[in-house]
Amino acid sequence: MKKLLHNRFVNVIALIVVLCLLGCQGKKAEGTDNVTVDALTQADDIVKLPDSKDNTIVFTPQWTPQAQFAGYYVAKELGMYDQYGLDVKIEHPTSTYSAIDRIRSNQSHATTLQLLQAMEIIDNGIPMVNILQTSMNNALAIVAKEGNNPLNMKSKRVGIWSAGFDQLPICMNIKENLGLEWVRIASNVNLFLSGDLDAITVMTYNEYYQLVQAGVEITDENLFRFDNSDYNIQEDGVYVTRDYYLKHQMQSKAFAAASKKGWEWTAAHPEEALDIVMKYVNEYHIATNRIMQRLMLEEIIKLQKDHETGKQEFKLKREMVEKASELMHEYGLLANEVSYEEIMP
Amino acid sequence: MNRLLNYIRESLARRLSLWITMMAALIFIVTLGYMFSASRKAVRNESIAHATELLNSTALRVNAMLEKVKIATDNIDWLVARHLDGPDSMFVYSRRILINNPDLKGCSISFEPYYFKEKGQYFSAYSLNENGVITTEEQGSNTYQYFYMDWYLQAKLRQAPCWTEPYNDYQEQVLSSTETIMSYCKPLYDPKDSTFVGVMSTDLALSWLSQTISAVKPYPNSYSIMLGRGGTYFVHPDSTKLSLQTIFTETLEKPNPQLTALGKAMTNGEEGMMELPIDGVDSYVFYKPLGDTGWSTAIICPESDIFGGFIKYQRVVWIIIAIGLLLMMTVLSKILERQLKPLGRLAYQAETIAGGKFDETLPTTTRFDEIGKLNQSFSNMQKSLVKYIEELTITTANKERIEGELRIAREIQMGMVPRLFPAFPERDDIDLYASMTPAKEVGGDLYDFFIQHNKMYFCIGDVSGKGVPASLFMAVTRNLFRVVAQQELPPAEIARQINDTLSEDNEQGMFVTMFIGILDLQTGKLDFCNCGHNPPVIDGKFMEMEPNTPLGLFGGIDFIGETIDDIEDSMMLLYTDGLNEAENVEHEQFGDDRLLDYMAQNTSTAKTTILTIQKMVAAFVGEAEPSDDLTMLCLKLKEINK
Repeated sequence: MKKLLHNRFVNVIALIVVLCLLGCQGKKAEGTDNVTVDALTQADDIVKLPDSKDNTIVFTPQWTPQAQFAGYYVAKELGMYDQYGLDVKIEHPTSTYSAIDRIRSNQSHATTLQLLQAMEIIDNGIPMVNILQTSMNNALAIVAKEGNNPLNMKSKRVGIWSAGFDQLPICMNIKENLGLEWVRIASNVNLFLSGDLDAITVMTYNEYYQLVQAGVEITDENLFRFDNSDYNIQEDGVYVTRDYYLKHQMQSKAFAAASKKGWEWTAAHPEEALDIVMKYVNEYHIATNRIMQRLMLEEIIKLQKDHETGKQEFKLKREMVEKASELMHEYGLLANEVSYEEIMP
Repeated sequence: MNRLLNYIRESLARRLSLWITMMAALIFIVTLGYMFSASRKAVRNESIAHATELLNSTALRVNAMLEKVKIATDNIDWLVARHLDGPDSMFVYSRRILINNPDLKGCSISFEPYYFKEKGQYFSAYSLNENGVITTEEQGSNTYQYFYMDWYLQAKLRQAPCWTEPYNDYQEQVLSSTETIMSYCKPLYDPKDSTFVGVMSTDLALSWLSQTISAVKPYPNSYSIMLGRGGTYFVHPDSTKLSLQTIFTETLEKPNPQLTALGKAMTNGEEGMMELPIDGVDSYVFYKPLGDTGWSTAIICPESDIFGGFIKYQRVVWIIIAIGLLLMMTVLSKILERQLKPLGRLAYQAETIAGGKFDETLPTTTRFDEIGKLNQSFSNMQKSLVKYIEELTITTANKERIEGELRIAREIQMGMVPRLFPAFPERDDIDLYASMTPAKEVGGDLYDFFIQHNKMYFCIGDVSGKGVPASLFMAVTRNLFRVVAQQELPPAEIARQINDTLSEDNEQGMFVTMFIGILDLQTGKLDFCNCGHNPPVIDGKFMEMEPNTPLGLFGGIDFIGETIDDIEDSMMLLYTDGLNEAENVEHEQFGDDRLLDYMAQNTSTAKTTILTIQKMVAAFVGEAEPSDDLTMLCLKLKEINK
């Protein structure tokens, strides 16, 4: 207990020091024209944008507030966006108005998308550009009832989100001839808990822990993780429309750089980052708790680390895009293949 | 602590009262311990029965309400099935069910996509009762695809009526409840071909259930909870847990097998009771499933509440007993002190008597119990003691007088033998030394020597017995030797005359062993007569000689004298049996061998020889009491003036 308090105390002090440094930095930046680089920003390779109304970016994560978006909340709350001269507003989607709806109507400039989602959108005629890749691994998993193998459930009902994120399971089901019967569901695990589904598709940072929190015993036997298979396709990244990117390259790059810093700080200070996440979670009355968000954050950071290097790489791999495009095209989810160049700026 | 122990130890009354109190305390502890244990079991059983009864009645009330929802739904769904051709009638049915059942929160009759071609992909007739005002609306859109909702899918997949988990259905700009609700969902089938067409869902506000369950409070600090299928808290006094945490949440970071077991039991629909700490408080948890909903309710009763009264009663009893025992110990101590007071006085008097005041008057008592008898016995003992002390005083005075006389006698006796050495300082040829150590104040050993006409007359003797009689006999013998030897008679004649004199009127039958020698200092010739005495050692060996009887036993007998022609440069040791028969604590004797071994190697002077032998004997004897007088005479003729 004493150790815990001590750690918390140290963390709080660290947070205060960082805030003070950032505050000092902000003050120094005041009153400067055009691009001003002070000592700290030089060291961190931060270049402040010249003042412009174009520096306002509305960012909409693809879901309601949770630790999945911790790095952006941290960048906003610790003034990292300000350092780059950006005025970032984080506006979440609602159940009736999704992030992509907001992008389409120009209410938001940037959003987070999974790679396969982004490719579908591009294939549907909305060119999107990846300005920051956060995920290095796939977070999908299938959990079956205790004692069942998720890959050996022919004709069994498997829950899958009605809202999307289904591309990879669908491709795998066809390719591997698994014979799973998909049941489109809303975003919770109730139907699996009530026994009306034989298995359920989960995100390892979200629904997986909802099941654990509901007392479901998950072992290697009844769990299939995509990141341990040939289907380990990268997921979350930050996207803007190509049109926006072409007109706001500096802003887009600055947003990506600041967001990256936010994620790096989050990985180094998970408990303080969690405080910030909980602020957003409570503001939006999200039905979750700190323990679940801590577990989610730990998993998200784990997924951001490349299997080979063990580091947060923030890099979309060309072979990933090619593999995903080929897979989705082969099984009819893409009318035309989407190239790496189409996704990247 | 030591002071307390000493305080207890110094009084018999205190010790006795403490022991009695301790025994009483032990009996009380065992008896009351058993009684409290049995009572605790009874209280526990009673509490279990009470809580179980409450839980059952709560479950009955909840089930009755849930049954009411089922009946209300069943009363309408047949109408829905009969009018599948008229979608607008669904608005009437969903509304009617709420009019007929004001407790219900909402009702939706929803259909599969494109079931009614004219209505498009979505058709759901929904009515909501908001504070008694019923509003009806058609629902379903791209942003609210109801057929993916739990309440729709669950009934569809199960193909049977069921209850959903409590959920929050609120959606902006759409008619929806702001309250958390749970729905009874019933699948709808076309009566013609039994195909699934949609779901009728009837909603109940969680608040109603929450109020009913929260009202169950058998003890002041007890409370009730309700869990959903996944262990989510839907009723709990801590609102921060409601819908946000499950019973397993805290176990994810801090494993708690007991809480996990409770969660598993409840989510598995089991009924029972568990004892476990809840939020650090030892509690009894009584749980029971709510019908076929998959939910479970529990009453959590802190142990301190259940046993609060009992523990209070137990404490009071223990305090009364503790005070009672203290009181008992105090009173008992006083009574015993009073009863044992004569003993105390007696102890004081005894101490005074022990201090020398033998005439101290003992307290008189009229008691005839053990203490009275002890007083009497002590009084008798005191009288006997006084008498004994008087006699002892006289005896001691007599003994001291006798000892004084004996000291004088010893001095006299020691004065009878020559003790000044060198005995003949004018002569360099004679090395002579002698010593006599009586075992008691006076002894029966003797020695003597003198020179007359260039001859040395010497003797050593040992009177039978010890003490005063032997010393008197020794004195007589020594005087006889002086008188007879001065007549320059041969040793055998000296022996004969002494024997005759001693044996006259020797009624005590005492005798003396004696070695008589005459050394011619000019020639070195030794004449001697040994009358039953230990053979002297000469040149490290015992002298060989004729045996004669000791002197004083029989008168008129002759003695055989012997001669050694020359003992020049020979060391001769004469001694009494106090030397070779000296005993140590193990009753071993000094023996002849030690003596001969020493004498065989000895080259020192007569004085050194005797002093060395004395030390050897003292070292051998050690702590043992001297058993006999020890007398030695050592003689060496170094140079002959021929």
